[in-house]
Amino acid sequence: MKEERKIRVLIAKVGCDIHERGALTLLHRFRDAGMEVIYTGRYQSPEGVANAAVAEDVDVIALSDHTGSMRIIAAAVLEALERLEATDIHILAGGLISPEDAEVLEGMGVSGNYGPGTPLDLIVDHVRRLVK
Amino acid sequence: MREKTISLDRKFGHMVRTATQSHIDLKSCYTPKDCEQLSYEADLGDPGEYPFTRGLYPDMYRDRLWLKSFIVSYSTPEETNAAFRQYIANGMTDLRLLADLPTQSGIDPDHPSAWNSMMCGGVATYALNVYEKMLQGLPLENVVYELAHCGISNFIYFYSLLVTLMENRGLDVTQLRGNSINDPVRAKLVYACPDFPTHIARRVCLDHIEYSVRHTPKWRPFAPNGVDPCQAGMDAVRELGGCLAVGTAICQDLLERGISVDDYGAMVFSLDAESDFFETIAKFRAARKMWAKIAREKLGAKTKRATQLKIGIRTSGLSLQSQKPLNNAARVTLQILSCILGGVNSLDASSIDEAVGLPSYEARLFNLDTQHIITHEANVPLVADPLGGSYYLEWLTSKLEKEVNRYLDEVEARGGIFACLESGWLNEVMEANRLKVQREKAEGKRLIVGVNAFQGEGEEGPINKAIQDVAYKVPSVALREERVREVKEFKESRNQQALKRSLKEIYRATKEGRNVTRPIIEAAKTGATLGEVTGVIRLGYGIPYDPFEQIETPALVGQLVKESE
Repeated sequence: MKEERKIRVLIAKVGCDIHERGALTLLHRFRDAGMEVIYTGRYQSPEGVANAAVAEDVDVIALSDHTGSMRIIAAAVLEALERLEATDIHILAGGLISPEDAEVLEGMGVSGNYGPGTPLDLIVDHVRRLVK
Repeated sequence: MREKTISLDRKFGHMVRTATQSHIDLKSCYTPKDCEQLSYEADLGDPGEYPFTRGLYPDMYRDRLWLKSFIVSYSTPEETNAAFRQYIANGMTDLRLLADLPTQSGIDPDHPSAWNSMMCGGVATYALNVYEKMLQGLPLENVVYELAHCGISNFIYFYSLLVTLMENRGLDVTQLRGNSINDPVRAKLVYACPDFPTHIARRVCLDHIEYSVRHTPKWRPFAPNGVDPCQAGMDAVRELGGCLAVGTAICQDLLERGISVDDYGAMVFSLDAESDFFETIAKFRAARKMWAKIAREKLGAKTKRATQLKIGIRTSGLSLQSQKPLNNAARVTLQILSCILGGVNSLDASSIDEAVGLPSYEARLFNLDTQHIITHEANVPLVADPLGGSYYLEWLTSKLEKEVNRYLDEVEARGGIFACLESGWLNEVMEANRLKVQREKAEGKRLIVGVNAFQGEGEEGPINKAIQDVAYKVPSVALREERVREVKEFKESRNQQALKRSLKEIYRATKEGRNVTRPIIEAAKTGATLGEVTGVIRLGYGIPYDPFEQIETPALVGQLVKESE
């Protein structure tokens, strides 16, 4: 029987948003849950995130943003993934996301859309379901 | 059949902690024995007397209330200007300026990395024209401005814009009041700010301070910041320790430039008002006491002014929750109260809707009104240091001092605060505490109402929903496109020769080790942007123009570099 592959997650921040605590919190929680996690750090471009996701062969990109710009950011990352023909990578989003943003994001295929204070186990379960 | 009765848990909601937020273990009661070693004269002193544990002034708030402020920075200069006017009419006395996130990182709106966070968190204040719009009709004299940005490039640049505005309006620049955070450790530790590496940031920080000490004596060009390290994971001990260490290091740097701590004058720290009520009060008292001692014993202060620490506050944004946001009113009110009981000098209180978005107008009025209520209805500020003499508080103040001193010794043993930053040790300390707190929350050892305890059942009610709905929304794609167009047109419209000359002077001053402030003021007048000034200083150090290494050096800048070789 084949040994089960660990879920691979890229946590990413695009643009100049400085709020990093959510991303760092998830980094540790995902690792504790037995996933392989890579964090891009701040100040990334959408193309850079897509390239890293492909190079690292991740299952999920977890985008974090606290500026309220997740719609713009997710759209740019999706576009970059399309160019790389890597749209099979799931995108999960979290941070400052309004209910209206969440609706639009769901429509784009971006799931989760969790706000600050979301129980971390809920997010871990979500990733596991996505990848299954 | 008997009706089933509900059971009642008498232990429901009981305390789960016996230590403060920063892990200082507490007994259930404190007595005179716990304060035996303290001497009133040496450790407390009357308000207005060294070491200022009880406050900086004899009459404290009767003489002058704390400054009421908050960062006002919406997406456009017009909205921001209108908001300032409204808040001033409601009692705001201290204007905190900020910029959008790309500007704070050192780049202009037409930079490709600006797009995704453009006009978020503030105005894209890329050049003088935007400042003119944002501050149009607002006073520049007899008002306090604070620059609360991230990157060290920002402080020197926006200070230069304020000086330029005053010079252009024919005003006396010696009357410029306020402060710049200008803390190079915070810029790297918390923000990993891309504008400058730390050795450049430290030099630019000192240039700003030196120029300001000589030309705008009422401006405090440096305010070590504990707020952001604390929000990023440091506890109260390491927050205060960090400020004291950075303050000491920069004052020692200034000595090498011939500026003594007496020349410099009063120090300002920007500290965090956290949720732990007594620990926060003790922190402010310990901060004043410790700086007074350092200034006198380590930096050789001879004047009273140089031993005085002014405390500017931002209440904890991290403590605010998006779940049941009405509860944030209780959190902020307690934090404001701790500031006033701790004798702070200026107060920027977070808003109840801040976990949801940028604060709304009404939420901010609530903050101002809370301070008015504490003053006029609760009568809290009538007496200086009203908790002074409390066995618990005096013990806690003294305990914090001991813990902070232990931390300072460790920082010193590791080569000082800048070495601790460069080696990554500060980040490790910050992360370790952050994880510890995170674990405590997950294990129910630290309860946050509405988040990991007392969540309640069902949907949130209409008041909470309303708060969630009012928060300010970020600018649309169309608005961002308009801004990019505007900055491009602005750049074309400038006198290119004058611009080149002024940028060349910044380049030369950078290379020759001269103070860059005056050249930046002159450049601001020719329309030089923040991104250009930052890039030219970087080139002066032989590193790429663009902090993100995405764009080419602009042709005009390339020319001036060539001409200077």
